[in-house]
Amino acid sequence: MFSTIKTGLTFAALAGAFLLQPSLQAQDSMKQDGMKQDGMKQDKMQDDKMQHEGMAKSLFTGKFHGKVHATSGRATVYQEGDGKLVLRLTNFKTSNGPDVHVILVATKDAMDDANFLKENTEKLELGKLKGNEGDQNYEIPAGTDLTKFRTVSIYCERFNANFGAAPLEKF
Amino acid sequence: MNTNTSSWLSRSKWILMAIGIPVLAGAWWAFRPEKLFINQKVNEAAPASLGTAAQPIFTGKLEGKIHATSGRATIYKAADGTRYLRLSDFKTSNGPDVRVVLVMAEDKQLDQEIVKGELDRMELGALKGNEGDQNYDLPAAADLNKYQAVAIYCETFHALFGVAKLEEF
Repeated sequence: MFSTIKTGLTFAALAGAFLLQPSLQAQDSMKQDGMKQDGMKQDKMQDDKMQHEGMAKSLFTGKFHGKVHATSGRATVYQEGDGKLVLRLTNFKTSNGPDVHVILVATKDAMDDANFLKENTEKLELGKLKGNEGDQNYEIPAGTDLTKFRTVSIYCERFNANFGAAPLEKF
Repeated sequence: MNTNTSSWLSRSKWILMAIGIPVLAGAWWAFRPEKLFINQKVNEAAPASLGTAAQPIFTGKLEGKIHATSGRATIYKAADGTRYLRLSDFKTSNGPDVRVVLVMAEDKQLDQEIVKGELDRMELGALKGNEGDQNYDLPAAADLNKYQAVAIYCETFHALFGVAKLEEF
């Protein structure tokens, strides 16, 4: 009884494959793949992790956008082996300016003309911008909630101007 | 009369200077106009613990086509120059004969869910699993100027499960 159901199901599957793909040859490879598929079902890959990760893990990344002061490049948050969070800017370029800082803001993204003071956006200081061009790292204070602070902003403190922002997405 | 005018002139000059110079200095401090022309370049190395690890060179988000597909595709370059593709936070549907391929980002074929004809692609291997982090070696000949997208592709049905367009990291 059980085997009859099984054969019936197999035939139904084959018939379905035949309908989807008119060539007999394809049907053959379908049968083969059906078997392969079982072995691989919900195959969670974990082994590659060890091969890949040295000491640090990339958690979030995002691309900069900015119009008033053209800003481009990428912001990536890494977690080092000891748990420390580091923000790294790569391929980065913005305009030079006075009193420019790297901050995290508690929004999903920031408009190019965002006014953080007016909008009462929560800010978290990471440090003075080290250079307006090139790769650079900034430490993120321990305990920072990155599910809340989801955007990196290049921010001119003196004029409350957002030079550019990068919304962080899961890596 | 003459001396009066000249002393008045010099006094007003003094007042102008006394007010003007601090104002100019203040304006300079506030706007730092010379920064418009001066770039400050830095080139910090990656965080110490990343130093020996492979560096990401391209990345892109996977978008589902015929089957819901999500996650990120990143191309890393190891210290010895070999490159590999890593899928992270990855999930797609299981299926028969699913492969990971490099494709051309501008290829019109990518607009369809089922590719008619042949897709110009470079094989990276059979999909190792439909969920989870995984790595695929790139052939040394892989031209990333030509192939700037990653696709999860079912060869049997010419079906595009998902595509990620790569951007410079």
